[in-house]
Amino acid sequence: MADSDKNYFDPKVLAGIANLALRARWVVEGLLSGVHKSRAKGFSVEFEEHREYSPGDEIRRIDWKALGKFDRYMIKEYEDETNLRAYLLVDGSASMNYASDGISKFDYACTLTTSLAYLILKQQDAAGVVTFSNKVESFIPPRSKRDYLLQIIHALESHGPGGETNVAKILEELAGQIRRRGLIVLISDLLDEPELIVKGLRQFRFKGNDVIVFHLLDQAEIDLPFDGNILFEDLEAANLQVIADPRAIRATYKEVVQEFIGNMRKQCHDSAIDYQLISTATPLDRALASYLSWRG
Amino acid sequence: MSVFFLYPLFLFGLAAASLPVLIHLLNRRRLKRIRFPAVRFILLSQKRISRSYRLRHWLLLALRTLAVICLALLLANPIFQTGAGLFAGGGPVSLVVVLDNSLSMTWSGDGNGFKQAKEAASLLIGGLNDGDRAAVIATNISGKDAFRLKGQKDVLAKEIAGIEIADGTANLAAALSKAYELLNQPAGQKEIRIITDMALTGWDQFSVAALKQADPSIPLKVIRIGRNQQPLNGAVKEIRLGGQGVGVNLPLQIDATVANFGATEIKELLVQLSIDGQNKEQKLATIPAKGETSLTFQTRIGQAGPHAGRITLKKDGLAGNPAAHFALDAQDKLRVLLVDGDPQTSLVQSETFFLSRALNPSGERDASLFLPTVVLPDGLNTANLDNYQVVMLANLAALPDGFVTRLQNFLRQGGGLLIFTGDKFQADSYNQKLGAALPAQLRDKKTGPEPGGEKIDKIDFAHPALQSLADTILQESIKSVRVWGYQRAAGKPLIALANGEPLLLEQKVGAGKVMLLTTGADRDWSDLPVKTVFLPLIQSLTQYLAGGKRGNLDAGIVVGAVKELSFPATFVGRNLRVTKPDKQNIEVAITGAKERAAATVDDNDQAGIYRLSLPAGGDKDSGAPQIYAVNAPFLESRLDQLSAAELAAKLKPIRTEVLDLAALKEGGKRVDLALPLLGMLIATLLLEGWLGQRF
Repeated sequence: MADSDKNYFDPKVLAGIANLALRARWVVEGLLSGVHKSRAKGFSVEFEEHREYSPGDEIRRIDWKALGKFDRYMIKEYEDETNLRAYLLVDGSASMNYASDGISKFDYACTLTTSLAYLILKQQDAAGVVTFSNKVESFIPPRSKRDYLLQIIHALESHGPGGETNVAKILEELAGQIRRRGLIVLISDLLDEPELIVKGLRQFRFKGNDVIVFHLLDQAEIDLPFDGNILFEDLEAANLQVIADPRAIRATYKEVVQEFIGNMRKQCHDSAIDYQLISTATPLDRALASYLSWRG
Repeated sequence: MSVFFLYPLFLFGLAAASLPVLIHLLNRRRLKRIRFPAVRFILLSQKRISRSYRLRHWLLLALRTLAVICLALLLANPIFQTGAGLFAGGGPVSLVVVLDNSLSMTWSGDGNGFKQAKEAASLLIGGLNDGDRAAVIATNISGKDAFRLKGQKDVLAKEIAGIEIADGTANLAAALSKAYELLNQPAGQKEIRIITDMALTGWDQFSVAALKQADPSIPLKVIRIGRNQQPLNGAVKEIRLGGQGVGVNLPLQIDATVANFGATEIKELLVQLSIDGQNKEQKLATIPAKGETSLTFQTRIGQAGPHAGRITLKKDGLAGNPAAHFALDAQDKLRVLLVDGDPQTSLVQSETFFLSRALNPSGERDASLFLPTVVLPDGLNTANLDNYQVVMLANLAALPDGFVTRLQNFLRQGGGLLIFTGDKFQADSYNQKLGAALPAQLRDKKTGPEPGGEKIDKIDFAHPALQSLADTILQESIKSVRVWGYQRAAGKPLIALANGEPLLLEQKVGAGKVMLLTTGADRDWSDLPVKTVFLPLIQSLTQYLAGGKRGNLDAGIVVGAVKELSFPATFVGRNLRVTKPDKQNIEVAITGAKERAAATVDDNDQAGIYRLSLPAGGDKDSGAPQIYAVNAPFLESRLDQLSAAELAAKLKPIRTEVLDLAALKEGGKRVDLALPLLGMLIATLLLEGWLGQRF
């Protein structure tokens, strides 16, 4: 890639672009220049499910065959058939609001999510977004409409980071709601119990979903680059604070963090889940490249 | 074993040892706050490294503190010392040796204490190196003694050899003050050594507050002269006169109290009384442990004047002052001329019967201090008044012309006259012939029946002649007296009747005195002669009229005390020669003080008898003492010792170490700790640097 293109993915440069849509286009267009087109396979209409008739539904949509079978009026619902249905799960907990230098983890996650959605929609696949903290903050089901990106962006922008993380619980909850197979992309700092997170992701795998985990960390969370005696206050748990001399504990801290990352990576690998560690200091192309490599 | 510092001021630098801790605390207070998402990882890291992290943290803090302490100590230059040796190096030493030469040192060290103390002093002086200086101060120091630090060992050795046991108590405060004064000048290393038996008496009187100057930073070591045995320990506590006065050839009773300081009973202690070097009497005494016994000696003195007395204790192995000195002033008999103005064939009825019995109750020649001679009025013209000290006129009608002149000469030369009135007494004759010598102008006689007699109302007990009547029994006796016949007179009375009329009056004539009793000397006008008070009253008046001399015993003053002497005013401007017990003479100036002359002898540094040579032309009967006694302090014989802890407490805040003599003989070792401290400082800094890098 030419040197001039590097700026497309530099998080600091991206942080200067307020418009998320513009930011995503900047990234994706930069990435796709020179890359072959995706395998778009066209559209079709496919039965999705029955639901009970309710007043206001069009009479013509009643499935008369089902009346004999269920002895009730049922409406036949259809879904547009696409190559791919992608759920982009974005961690919106307070810990994602951390930014040691320029862009916060949440902003990075939003940019990444938007870029991915842009890319997916551009390929005429369906993309949906779920933002969550310890509960689901917004749920935008996957659609393949070209102008759907605006709704996704609106969902991301309308909920700032806040609240505690409970990734495992959210995954369990979403696994019950998402019935059709597709691609599950989790973008989070995963500051939760690794076993529970992976257990939640495995449920998607069992249902035939492909799962990609973008483990988003600030570089300061990896290196602990501070000096002097510091009172560290947790971003989520208000009463969790500790005085430490980073110089004295840095080596051990790095070991602990790497153990955590290694543990996550191993558990994902064992469950056939794609895992990608991303530092907010890393250019966005690495994340997108990871996605594209998955798309083959 | 001790540690001291050459430059102790640098020890204030130890306060800087708190700096690392303060910096640590300040850093804790200046915390940066950071909101951070991965606090759980920090907690986990701390938990994982908690023990080693904290250990290293505290180790670093301890090393930094240790480095500051090492630096401060290094600058103060500590010296480690074992035993009592002096510096082997490290600059010249200024040493002051205080040598206890108080009397108690005689019996310390099982009898060799003072010899051992001198050997210890010599040992210390012998240990001096070139450039070192020293002074030796004995504890019987006086303000006049001059001392200086000197480096000549031979001179110092001679000074030590010349110090002898003093009879007094150690003046430790003066000796130590002098030591600090000598060391109050720049010197490399300063030292004080006190060689003492730590006797309770000397140290009891010591107080740090009494030091004129002191420097607690100067190392002070006490070298104790101990003892292995517990000897018998006693001394004469008190000597006092048992009877009334000391008269020539009269029975003399001397009481002595002997104390036992020890925990063992003293049996068969020989106690001797000697006067003027002659053994007069001796007794065997047993004194209970920690108790005392009183002994009474009876003797006589054949000659008037001063006598040197001594009580001596004799017992093998007895520790304590064995001799106590005292001075006796024996009074010759007072010769009294009684003139009987109304003689009778019966002695009992004569006017002077009661007077002669009051002055000599037994009638025997050597039984009383007074020697009365009775004459009739006819014998007055032939009587030689120079043979008498006092003349008493009892109911003498009129004064013969030739007698009056001799009587007035007698009075001017210091004689005494006591006049009694009576029915024969002619007041006009006395008024006319004695005139101003009479205490009061006499008026008429007043007589009445015995039952209506006047009581005595007022008595001037402050008057020297009447002081002895202040006793309760005598007061009751004199107030029971009835006077029904008396000669009225005007004047200020010493004794007055209830109606205000004088009973006793006084008048001074030249050096002599005249007293007038306005009633009679027999029972014709009063019942005074048959009252208890009559004998002491007459004897007291006679002694007063004779100049107050009755003889006495002076138990003396303690060594070091000042003796004040009083003389007639004519002695002012002359010199008094004092011969000390060692026959050395000193001259003391006699100065004026009110109506008398006075001299002060302050050089009483030896126990014994001090003899005074009065100035030429002086009157030996002037009342001035001719000898006086000086004794060692009684408690100096007590051999109880202070403990090392008690001594250290007494000398606080001066840092004191008590060493036994053996420790001094074994010598000692001194090590300059500067080099090891420097090594420790460097090692500490290196270790701190290495540990700091590892964080």
